[in-house]
Amino acid sequence: MSYLPKPVLVIGGGIAGIQAALDLADQGIQVYLVEKTPSIGGKMMQLDKTFPTLDCSACILTPKMVAVARHPNIKLLTYSEVIEVTGSAGNFNVKILKKPRYVDEEKCIGCGICFNKCPSKVPDEFNLGMSQRRAIYVPFPQAVPLKATIDKEHCIYFTKQRCRVCEKVCPTKAINYEQKPETIELNVASIVVATGYQLIDPTLAAQYGYGKYQNVYISLEFERLLSSTGPTGGEIVRRSDNKHPKNIAFIQCVCSRDVKINPNCSAFCCMASVKHSILAKEHLPNVDCTIFYMDLRAFGKGYQEFYNRAMREFGVKFMRGKPAKIEEEPETKNLIITYEDTFTGLKKTMTFDMVVLAVGVKPIYPEALKLPLSEDGYVQLKNQYLDPVLTMIDGVYTVGVAAGAKDIPDSVVQSGNAAIKASILAGGAQK
Amino acid sequence: MTYLVPQHPLQLVELGAERFSRCFNCGNCTAICPITKEKASYPRKLIRYSLLGMEDKILSSTDPWLCYYCGECSDQCPRDANPGSFMMSLRRYLTTKYDWTGFSKLMYYSKKAEVIAIIVVAAIVGSIIYLLHGPIVETRVELETFAPYLTTEIGALTVLFVLAGILLSNLYRMYRFVMRDENGNRIRVPLGFMIRDFIRIVPLHFLTQIKIKECKDRQKNWINHLIIFYGYAASFILFVPLLKFTQTNDPFLFVNPLSILGIFSTIALLYGASIAIYGRVKKTQPMWKDSHSTDWMFLILLLLTTITGILTGIFRTFGFPLPTYIMYSLHLMIAAPFLILEVPFAKWSHLAYRPFALYFESLKERYLASKR
Repeated sequence: MSYLPKPVLVIGGGIAGIQAALDLADQGIQVYLVEKTPSIGGKMMQLDKTFPTLDCSACILTPKMVAVARHPNIKLLTYSEVIEVTGSAGNFNVKILKKPRYVDEEKCIGCGICFNKCPSKVPDEFNLGMSQRRAIYVPFPQAVPLKATIDKEHCIYFTKQRCRVCEKVCPTKAINYEQKPETIELNVASIVVATGYQLIDPTLAAQYGYGKYQNVYISLEFERLLSSTGPTGGEIVRRSDNKHPKNIAFIQCVCSRDVKINPNCSAFCCMASVKHSILAKEHLPNVDCTIFYMDLRAFGKGYQEFYNRAMREFGVKFMRGKPAKIEEEPETKNLIITYEDTFTGLKKTMTFDMVVLAVGVKPIYPEALKLPLSEDGYVQLKNQYLDPVLTMIDGVYTVGVAAGAKDIPDSVVQSGNAAIKASILAGGAQK
Repeated sequence: MTYLVPQHPLQLVELGAERFSRCFNCGNCTAICPITKEKASYPRKLIRYSLLGMEDKILSSTDPWLCYYCGECSDQCPRDANPGSFMMSLRRYLTTKYDWTGFSKLMYYSKKAEVIAIIVVAAIVGSIIYLLHGPIVETRVELETFAPYLTTEIGALTVLFVLAGILLSNLYRMYRFVMRDENGNRIRVPLGFMIRDFIRIVPLHFLTQIKIKECKDRQKNWINHLIIFYGYAASFILFVPLLKFTQTNDPFLFVNPLSILGIFSTIALLYGASIAIYGRVKKTQPMWKDSHSTDWMFLILLLLTTITGILTGIFRTFGFPLPTYIMYSLHLMIAAPFLILEVPFAKWSHLAYRPFALYFESLKERYLASKR
């Protein structure tokens, strides 16, 4: 009996989407993986190391990204967005807008000549604006697909109708300024939503002075500082004077667990900051690290041990108390934190060279799907206990942070579950 | 040894700290507070004590009286647990605990009792006026004849001494509660220090309330508070010790040199009561956001006392005998419960508790320093 499963759509090319796509494709199901940025990889790509084992994040992620690109059953649609979904479980009609890269993907070989010559400099999103990229770029060297993209807003040709340097230097004549947006229509059996998260605007927690004080960082910025592919090549240096900090404070629950900004716990920040403190100690053995926390949530496998290790082996100080404010010493640009040590009940101030805010997250979800949300702002699950990936729409599954704040291992577990559920719909139609 | 009192947190909820059990003990409130010092660290610690029902710890603490409710802690509380209003409710709670008569407890925990108490006192004052008032002269204003000076003055002074007595005994109870070390053992300070600190602290803070200024952006509040305080003090001096000169038949406006003081006190009280009522209705400041029934009662009685006082003056000035007598009786019927109930048992008792809290705090510090 002939058996041809229907395709499945995966929205979002972070680790959760990648894992779901691979688990589906490996079953022989055709997968469309839609990613709105020019490359898959997501937030995990920006991480230096992963907790609790301190594995190199890119080293464990890039093989999966390449596997996605090479998989015969996966059709990768990067720089694309889902704009319309109709139909129901087993039979969704999906419209996808493929934004123009102004580079012919067939011809581009990712040689990098164009972005070395491009004269327009733009803050680099991958390094959170701490370095610069060009208007024609790949987001990071291991990008999948390794194809250049022209950022229309900053391209001199598109803004001032001159330049065209990239076109002149391209060895394969891949530049095409005339490229138009394309609409792709698909019919899929089921949809996996893996759209992930964005960081909440840290200036909402105005008392910590992010954006006002140079040496206040957010956690993802610090992650880029730690990374050898980051703006400083892995050197932890202060924005104000390019010197190594002697002591670093990590503040937990910034824009998380605060009823006025975001009441939810962002789940992974505790362990991320423990990781940051350990990595900071590895980079700069004499640095003092202090983590200001309200409750330290070390709930996963090996997390408590990781926390203990930070404390005992690396001498990271843990201070229970939510700092009320940060003030800057104008001359040294050092930062004075006012807090109460809630173990002794004493109010104190302490001065730090650098402060890292573990800023909370909020979910991103595809507008086109009109998914019902739960009270906490994440996608509503139909049955949180026994079917923890099914949304309120049959045939649409959600994984990763879109479904609720979680770390990488939990996201990957959910992806596997969603892949199985989605494949039942994809194959179950014909028996 | 500490006794835990399970109903203690519930009492605070009744006294206005509706959300304080949301607290997850992060210490943000203590750290943001502009007046806490390294060791004097609150509100978090007190919230913790209260949630656990550690009544002894609360009773022996002077900290609630050091807070002036600027509301910084409530603005920034990540749990919206409203530590500022918790501190306010602690002051209410302590007022009920310092008072040995039980009236305070009755009024703070029951709106009904509060209203009944006011009505009863007003009725008693009303019947005394009915029984003891002098001849009613209808042809011209004869306030002195209607309310004989001696009777009124004796009445006023009796009330004054009884109230002062109760307030002093409550202060002594406060002293007994507060003068304890961390383990709950009583502490004593040499008499010389007690006198020296008293002279150094109590009159200054009683008369200036200068501590309010230490709170963030509270210059204006401090001035308002001073205006009300001195308006009240002036009218108290005018109408109790100087009653002979103020309860007169003649319109005393512009004739008597005391009239300037009278005008000042009236305007000050009217101004103070109005902005406080407006502020509490509109909730313009953190400290005005959660009003307890006793707060309203205080302001309404203050406003009514002032208005009936002004009306009495107007009727007298324009020569309406009957309205003057009726308004004056009403004025006494409102002013008396206001003073009798508010000064020793309710909100006004803070005029004693606040400066004395600073005093006791200083004595405790002396004791601890001598230990070290």
